[in-house]
Amino acid sequence: MAVKAIGSPFGSETRTRVLVALRLLDSSFQRELARILGRSPSVVQKALRGLERDGLVSGRLIGRTRSYSLNPRYFGIKELEAFLSRIAQADTDLRQRTADLRRRPRRAGKPL
Amino acid sequence: MKLSGASTLPEVAIAVGEQLARHGIRAVLTGGACVAIYTRTYTSKDADFVLQGRVTQPALDAAMKELGFERDGDRFVHPEIEFFVEFPPGPLPIGDDLSIEPGWVSLGGLSALALSPTDSCRDRLAAFYHWDDRQALRLAVEIARTQEVDVGKIREWSAGEGMTVKCEEFVAELTHGHTRRRRRRR
Repeated sequence: MAVKAIGSPFGSETRTRVLVALRLLDSSFQRELARILGRSPSVVQKALRGLERDGLVSGRLIGRTRSYSLNPRYFGIKELEAFLSRIAQADTDLRQRTADLRRRPRRAGKPL
Repeated sequence: MKLSGASTLPEVAIAVGEQLARHGIRAVLTGGACVAIYTRTYTSKDADFVLQGRVTQPALDAAMKELGFERDGDRFVHPEIEFFVEFPPGPLPIGDDLSIEPGWVSLGGLSALALSPTDSCRDRLAAFYHWDDRQALRLAVEIARTQEVDVGKIREWSAGEGMTVKCEEFVAELTHGHTRRRRRRR
């Protein structure tokens, strides 16, 4: 079992890392987060639902995909963002994983 | 007020607010149900109340049960009513503004604590500002047309949120509507 790189100030390691990932990515969706965090989609979904219920995260449908981001209307959003940025500095693995993610546009039909 | 399948969202929301107050539970109505009360044209599927102070789950369940609402997960549902009631986590800020002073809204002899028209307008504008939700802008304009709102306070708050440009879009929509209405009267 890997030693935890960071603590779990938001209730569980998955919840904390989901929040940090959303801070780094601005927005993401269940499967992308599961891939980045190396967790099952159902575990990530459970964390997202809880965070959404707590008002920390907001989700909205874009086409058929539910896109999540930190809730810009959350009480203390600026402080939350600053804290998550601080945690992100200590989580080099997560920073590397998000940095490896290709998000720029790619014309439809163009081979990968 | 006896709630039934024919009850409107404003009637349900105010009956719930009155019931909670009777049980000594301070709860402020926010969100779409506030908009429904102030505009009388818009309707939502739920009534959101933010609880203030410490309230236990059994006390909340008991108060809601007297009105016929049963807890189903995070929400309260009524067998005859299509609207449900939720209690999203507090506190009750609008953007960075924590100094929200709710007021009483009344209907059919009942009263409930709710966001003021100005704060309900700001609440909708926050959705427009952060999510580009055009429906929220339309509703903010509708509230401002039907109720007395403090546009100066909205402007000042918007500037603090870094949303001056979008606020001016709101003001332009509002002014445009007023102009059109005046023309129609002539």
